[in-house]
Amino acid sequence: MADTHPDLLQRPLPDGTVPAEVVARTEKRWLGVMVAMLVVMMAVVVLTGMTNAIHPPSNVETIDPTTLHLGGEFAESNLGTAQERDGSLTVRLIGGQYGFAPDCTKVAVDTPVKFRLTSTDVIHGFLLPSTNVNTMVVPGFVAEVRTQFTRPGIYRMPCNEFCGPGHHGMWARVSVVPKEQFHSLAPTERSSCVQQ
Amino acid sequence: MSELSTGTHHSAAASPEHVADPIGTDAALEALKHGPRGALFVATISVSLLLMSWLAFYFILFLPRGPIG
Repeated sequence: MADTHPDLLQRPLPDGTVPAEVVARTEKRWLGVMVAMLVVMMAVVVLTGMTNAIHPPSNVETIDPTTLHLGGEFAESNLGTAQERDGSLTVRLIGGQYGFAPDCTKVAVDTPVKFRLTSTDVIHGFLLPSTNVNTMVVPGFVAEVRTQFTRPGIYRMPCNEFCGPGHHGMWARVSVVPKEQFHSLAPTERSSCVQQ
Repeated sequence: MSELSTGTHHSAAASPEHVADPIGTDAALEALKHGPRGALFVATISVSLLLMSWLAFYFILFLPRGPIG
C-alpha cells in the first residue's frame, strides 16, 4: 500500500474520491433497483387483490346512533351471535366509551362469520388478532367485516382507535369453539359468553 | 493495534482486538476507485431481506387469512 501519509487520514475524504460518473451510475442503478422492487410489490398486491377479491371493508350503511337502544338491529336483545339459515354466523356488537357490548361473543370454528358493528359515541376500532379483521367503527355507520376462524380459542379484541382516556381498557373477547360444541349450545348460550 | 488507533483514530468497538488498523487516504482512494462496492453489497443484502420478508408475510400470513370485505 503506497500511502504517502498513513498517519493523516483525511476525514471526510476529499471530493472526487469516487469519480462523479461512478456516483451517477451507482445512483441510477440503485434507483432502478428501488423502482423494480416497488413494481414487484404493487404487481403482487394488484394481481392477488384481483384474483382473490381482496379489498378494504367498504360497507356503507347509515344508522341513527341516538336510537340504537330503542329497537332495530342493534337493540340489546339482538346483540351477540345469531345463526343464519345458510349456517353462517352474524355477530352484532356495539362499541361505546369504553367497552363493547356484549364484551364476549361465541362463534364456531371453520364457519363463515360476519361481524356487524356500530358506535354510540366516537370512532372506535375493531381488530381481531390472527385474522385480517381490522376496521373502524364510526358512529352513524354500520361496519361489516367477514372472516372465518381456523383455530379454536379466545381471541382478544382490543379497540385500536384512540377513543378517549379509557381507551386502553376497551377490549372484548371472541370465544371460538369447535362446531359440535357450538351447535350443542342453547341459542341463548350461543349468542354471548359474557356470563362465563 | 498500531499507536494510530489510540491517537487520531477513534472507534466504538468494545475491545481493542476489534479495532481495524486505520488506513491512509491513498488506500481509501484506491478502495473507492470503482464506487462504494462494499456499501452496495450491504445495502443489497439488507434490501433483499426486507423484500423477502414482505413477500413472506404477504403470502404466508396475509393471503391465507382471506379477504374481510
